[in-house]
Amino acid sequence: MSEPLLSVRNLKTSFAMGAQTARVVDGVSFDISCGETFALLGESGCGKSMTSLSIMQLVPQPGEIVSGEIQLEGEDLLRLPPAAIRNVRGNRIAMIFQEPMTSLNPVLTVEQQIGEVLLKHKGIKGSTARKRSVELLTAVGIPAPESRIDEYPHQLSGGMKQRVMIAIALAGEPDLLIADEPTTALDVTIQAQVLQLLRDLQQETGMAILLITHDLGVVAEMADRVAVMYAGHIVEAAGRDEFFANPQHPYSLKLFDSLPEMNKRNHALEVIKGSVPALTQEFKACRFESRCDFAWRPCREQLPDWHEISTRHQVRCHRADDEMLKQWPEQAVVATAELKLKTKQNTTRPILEVKQLKVHFPIHKGLFKRAAGFVYAVDDINLKIDQGKTLALVGESGCGKTTAGKAMLQLERPTAGQVMFEGEDLVYLSGEKLRKRRRDFQIIFQDPFSSMNPRMMISDIIEEGMLAQGVGGNAQQRRVRVDTLLEHVGLSATMRNRYPHEFSGGQRQRVCIARALAVEPKLIVCDEPTSALDVSVQAQILNLLKELQAEFGISYLFITHNISVVAYLADEVAVMYLGRIVERGTVTEVLEHPLHPYTQALLSAVPTIDPETRQEVLRVEGDIPSPIEPPSGCHFHPRCAHVMPKCRATYPEEFSDTERHSAHCFLLLGD
Amino acid sequence: MSEITKPAQRQQRSYAAQVLREVFMQWGARLGVFWIGLLVVVAVFAPFLANSHPLLLSEQGEISSPLIQYLTAADVTLLIIFFSVPVLYFFKISFRAKFGIFILITIVAAALCHATISPPRLSIYDQYRDNQQAGVYDWLITAPIPYSAKDYLRDEGDTGLEAPLAADERTHLFGTDENGADVLSRMVHASRIALSIGFVATGIAMIIGTIIGGLMGYFSGIFDMIGMRLVEIFEAIPVLFLLLTFVAFFGRNLYVMMIIIGITSWTGYARYVRAEFLKLRQQEFVQSAIACGLPLHSILFRHILPNGMAPILVAASFGVASAILAEATLSFLGLGLVDDPSWGQMLNQAVQAATFNWWMAAFPGGAIFLTVFAYNLIGEAMRDAIDPHLKKSAN
Repeated sequence: MSEPLLSVRNLKTSFAMGAQTARVVDGVSFDISCGETFALLGESGCGKSMTSLSIMQLVPQPGEIVSGEIQLEGEDLLRLPPAAIRNVRGNRIAMIFQEPMTSLNPVLTVEQQIGEVLLKHKGIKGSTARKRSVELLTAVGIPAPESRIDEYPHQLSGGMKQRVMIAIALAGEPDLLIADEPTTALDVTIQAQVLQLLRDLQQETGMAILLITHDLGVVAEMADRVAVMYAGHIVEAAGRDEFFANPQHPYSLKLFDSLPEMNKRNHALEVIKGSVPALTQEFKACRFESRCDFAWRPCREQLPDWHEISTRHQVRCHRADDEMLKQWPEQAVVATAELKLKTKQNTTRPILEVKQLKVHFPIHKGLFKRAAGFVYAVDDINLKIDQGKTLALVGESGCGKTTAGKAMLQLERPTAGQVMFEGEDLVYLSGEKLRKRRRDFQIIFQDPFSSMNPRMMISDIIEEGMLAQGVGGNAQQRRVRVDTLLEHVGLSATMRNRYPHEFSGGQRQRVCIARALAVEPKLIVCDEPTSALDVSVQAQILNLLKELQAEFGISYLFITHNISVVAYLADEVAVMYLGRIVERGTVTEVLEHPLHPYTQALLSAVPTIDPETRQEVLRVEGDIPSPIEPPSGCHFHPRCAHVMPKCRATYPEEFSDTERHSAHCFLLLGD
Repeated sequence: MSEITKPAQRQQRSYAAQVLREVFMQWGARLGVFWIGLLVVVAVFAPFLANSHPLLLSEQGEISSPLIQYLTAADVTLLIIFFSVPVLYFFKISFRAKFGIFILITIVAAALCHATISPPRLSIYDQYRDNQQAGVYDWLITAPIPYSAKDYLRDEGDTGLEAPLAADERTHLFGTDENGADVLSRMVHASRIALSIGFVATGIAMIIGTIIGGLMGYFSGIFDMIGMRLVEIFEAIPVLFLLLTFVAFFGRNLYVMMIIIGITSWTGYARYVRAEFLKLRQQEFVQSAIACGLPLHSILFRHILPNGMAPILVAASFGVASAILAEATLSFLGLGLVDDPSWGQMLNQAVQAATFNWWMAAFPGGAIFLTVFAYNLIGEAMRDAIDPHLKKSAN
């Protein structure tokens, strides 16, 4: 093996927190060779971002790099003076960040931002720099770069911004590109484009990529080698194929098992018990010990060494030591709890029926605020949710799925259409009647923290709905009910007097679920309830939602962009694109035999971890158009590979494949 | 892609342009800007609007312009600066370059004018009126208000404190003050003080505040500690009493007043800038600028400062208003300039006389009110335009 490009040895970065220090990066070592993609995988808070910031020496205060070596082609970056570091940054190591919306300077044009890096590192300016900038924008696949170059960031879409970020990073022709969750904030079709772009650029320029991600799918698609981080250090390092074929560390195994998938539908997902240990302590034993199903005496007593599985695969676990494994007690590893699926009712009585629902937001202009146009957020959708079932509403950001959910609950008044809830049209309810009816339908939001009043104790938060709806009896009974609800959602009644900030993200979402359950609703709209959570926490919430459905027969409208969650949880799926539902059907029908080209593209863009099912991504060009002036005819036609002249003219009728499966596409309708 | 959005058709609009557009969408801001604009024009053209020297006169066939003869260096400098703005506007160069050239023009014009222009020391305003009555002139054109600010109409006899349009033979639209000078004329000339004290004092405060606040915010740690203590010390100084003390010791000087108001009111700006820098320092675009290896001056002045400028400008527009009020207060207390007209000093005259002279209170008071109100309207509109919470979800 040739000399590595970057070699990190025993890197330690810590944060002073009062009297204590949090060791966020605690002895990390790895090598990256020229031209390879090295993935750091881990859940939030495990120190992967801090590792990358340490390499760039951008650790925010009060953090500081305590010890270690970061060698770039034999030169220790930690010993370089600040001026020399500035020449390394952007020139030899470049970095792209997670949030494209905030990682470009809003007051400078694209050209100014690229030009500055060109001037600093390449010493070119003026028309030469402009020409080079256009070249870079062309290289990252920005259409019409000559005019885009003079635009400001707010004129670009999220995917475009991320491409510009990559162009800026490439301007210094770096040897190593650090990509910190480069696609987490992007939609799947855009994510597929950006990942493809990174792969292509790597082939052309031969740069190495340090990819930081929490997404196993992205790792499977991109990485040559993988390192799994947990609680500040690396627990497993392997080549990609070795890792995905045979993950060794119990933590890695859990990560795989907690991924929601179609074939796990009848089981509860694996969860990791407990939570990440406090990083303020000095670890003398295995960091994963308290959460590991296999934990045994040596795990509590000594720090596991690196054990070699093969030349390309090392793991830090006592169980990889054959000597030790022989003595390992046969213990009944807690089997995955079979879900108590008491499918009580098999009635297919619809609880909610939505007919021709439209939500148009007027855009006001001028002195008299005349409506100059409309945002067609939801444009004529029909849906049906059966009692005790889950309907997933799938779509990319900006497609109107959240607005549709809010319109059904009358949180946003529809412009037209019917929302029949148990035979009663909610659109015509108002005032006190609607308020009383709200008891039957509740909502859980994406961000559990901002959906709770930070100054209220969680017992008050949960009780509030009961008070408002006059359910739950007297104060004593309500108190008991709050406690039972807390236990239902997997929290303890002793936590009732805490405030929202005292909980972790997953626990907060549980409180939100308890709040929704408090009034005994028949339908809960879940608006991306797990998208802000880590996979292992997401698994807990999904398990909980499934159990509650089996127990209380609640129906869910599950709004999400995550296909694997849909596969695990939903009974039926409706795919939304720019305010319209393009395809709907049962989950197996839609996910296994997608009819609409958009659904097909969406499904193929999802990164898969299984190398055998990995397929060629059906590339969708461009971004979602604006719902203010949606494309004529079929909204998908500008991005569709099978576009025909009539697609531009008219919107296709519904084509029904089976009783429940239908789609809107001319390809299916024939002539 | 190109089918969906045609980049060529899209307008390039910077953040600053966007904010400005949004400011001017509001009627309050338009009114405010209109009033300030009017004041600027009045201040620049004050000698042409209110002057006892005739604009043109013909004496036995010989045409002369005493008004132009008596223009001071300051008058000419102001005119040059005023006309350089529209000229610069049409040059196709960057805003930065324009601003640099503008500053250069200001300095050069001021130096040249003071070196070359020296109007006659003595002005005898009565001579024109006497000569006109004696029929010496063939014809003469006067300024719209034919009285200078310091023309006390000695030739007209007892003229002190006349209500508007009280005299038959003379027109004083806003009346005269106790010395017999025309109130409207004095107000026109006083608009210069009102504008300049606002701009200069706030400018000084903004520069000091931005530098100290920026250091505190970007470097934090020990800088922040020292800076905040400094802020607290300066916030404890009672500005009005400091001004009174200075005026008592060093006499009445407009520039001293400007500087004192400036160096005591920077603390608010420093706090704003510090908060902005602290926030922006952690923003990803600043992080990525550092990650690109850009030098410190670029990080500070290109990436952080322009993004943090908006709230400072809002504060500044309120600051201008309060500086004008501070000067008016001083003048009202009788500690303003001695002979030069100022709105506050005129208010002072309104209450000093035995009777209440409503025209002395209403007109200068109204002008102070309108000017302060105009700045507040602009500040209010700017705050709305940059406040992300008030913005509807943009598409």
